[in-house]
Amino acid sequence: MSTPSSLESLIEALRCLPGIGPKSAQRMAYHLLQRDRKGAQRLADALQHALAAIRHCERCNTLTEAEICERCTSPKRDATLLCVVETPVDMNMMEQTHAYSGLYYVIMGRVSPLDGIGPRELQLERLLARACDGVVQEVILATNYTNEGEATAHYLSEMLKSRDIHVTRIARGVPVGGELEYVDAGTLAQAVRERRSLAE
Amino acid sequence: MNLRHKVDGQPAFVLHAYPYSETSLIVEAFSRDFGRVALLARGARRPRSALRGLLLAFQPLELGWAGKGEVQTLMKAEWQGGQPLLGGKALFCGYYLNELLMHLLPREDAHERLFATYAETLRRFADGVRESDLRRFERALLQELGYGLTLEHDAEGAPLDAATHYAYEIERGPVRLQRSGNSALSVSGKTLIDLARDDFSDPRSLAEAKQLMRALITHYTGGKGLETRKIFMELQEL
Repeated sequence: MSTPSSLESLIEALRCLPGIGPKSAQRMAYHLLQRDRKGAQRLADALQHALAAIRHCERCNTLTEAEICERCTSPKRDATLLCVVETPVDMNMMEQTHAYSGLYYVIMGRVSPLDGIGPRELQLERLLARACDGVVQEVILATNYTNEGEATAHYLSEMLKSRDIHVTRIARGVPVGGELEYVDAGTLAQAVRERRSLAE
Repeated sequence: MNLRHKVDGQPAFVLHAYPYSETSLIVEAFSRDFGRVALLARGARRPRSALRGLLLAFQPLELGWAGKGEVQTLMKAEWQGGQPLLGGKALFCGYYLNELLMHLLPREDAHERLFATYAETLRRFADGVRESDLRRFERALLQELGYGLTLEHDAEGAPLDAATHYAYEIERGPVRLQRSGNSALSVSGKTLIDLARDDFSDPRSLAEAKQLMRALITHYTGGKGLETRKIFMELQEL
């Protein structure tokens, strides 16, 4: 018996998920159709609803249901600070620190020249417009400390330099509670190169 | 090179890495004795992987791998140090070198001298990028790949004259012109002589060498525009 075409297209569709190959996709499709048709319906509804309701916040670019997300409209946040992160997960990590009360801009990616991802693909001019709203005084670049994160930070600092906005970069070095004995050599080497003066 | 083999402690640089399956990476590395190799780094994207943060481009590493076929399995990676992390403009120039190597270097073809030039160029980048470093690297790359420029004599075999203008014809060499042309491949004899000596003290030679190298690289990369050049231009527009 050949596989019905609608089943085949379901298997093909499931393969768009990260880490799902043909085998897993087939298992998932058979499970949904054989054992959990209600679950399948819920999944279909939830997907449809999320697709219709969720969009990018006009101000911070993160995923939200409203035109402008809750955080961006909160009066408790310091609107003079704007922290730039690569992904919504990074924003959640920053929130967990309880060390930052400003607003965010989520790039949803990073500059990666060898993958053909540049400022144009990331629409960084939207970030420029956001940072130049007249309220923001400091932009904190919290992109990753990978080469791509650094490339992104460099581009942004060049872009914002001429706009009379204070641009800062999160610090890097030995982790909190880190013992030199157990810190990796690359981190330690850079921490020595970027050492700071204590005379203040 | 399809025999199963094992390599250990091989000096190498990561050129590019991209995700593979859920937790792994495919690493394109430039190694000293085996040239460009593709390595599968299993589990390198797991949160606590020892390889995480180590397989960084522009950092001297020692890699060990084993297996057969086109993609072999990375077994070991060790950080060597001595190379400050690149930042700013140097970082984008580093990406340019990597893109050139990714495009032009065939897999598993050893280029020891080019490897040394690459490492040396990255070291120089740490103190700021000079255009002459880029030209030197481009020339070394073309030379190593067998696309070496004819800089000792013109296409007819006559010695080059500093005051004469030439049209550089790819695969043939400099052809003497009656007067200065304005194509990318039109260069003065002085530029060619300076290029042969790696002497970039004359700004005119440097500017002409840039045009010449750009045209040659465009030719050898099959006319494809380079991504890094495009992004570099967006950076200059700021």
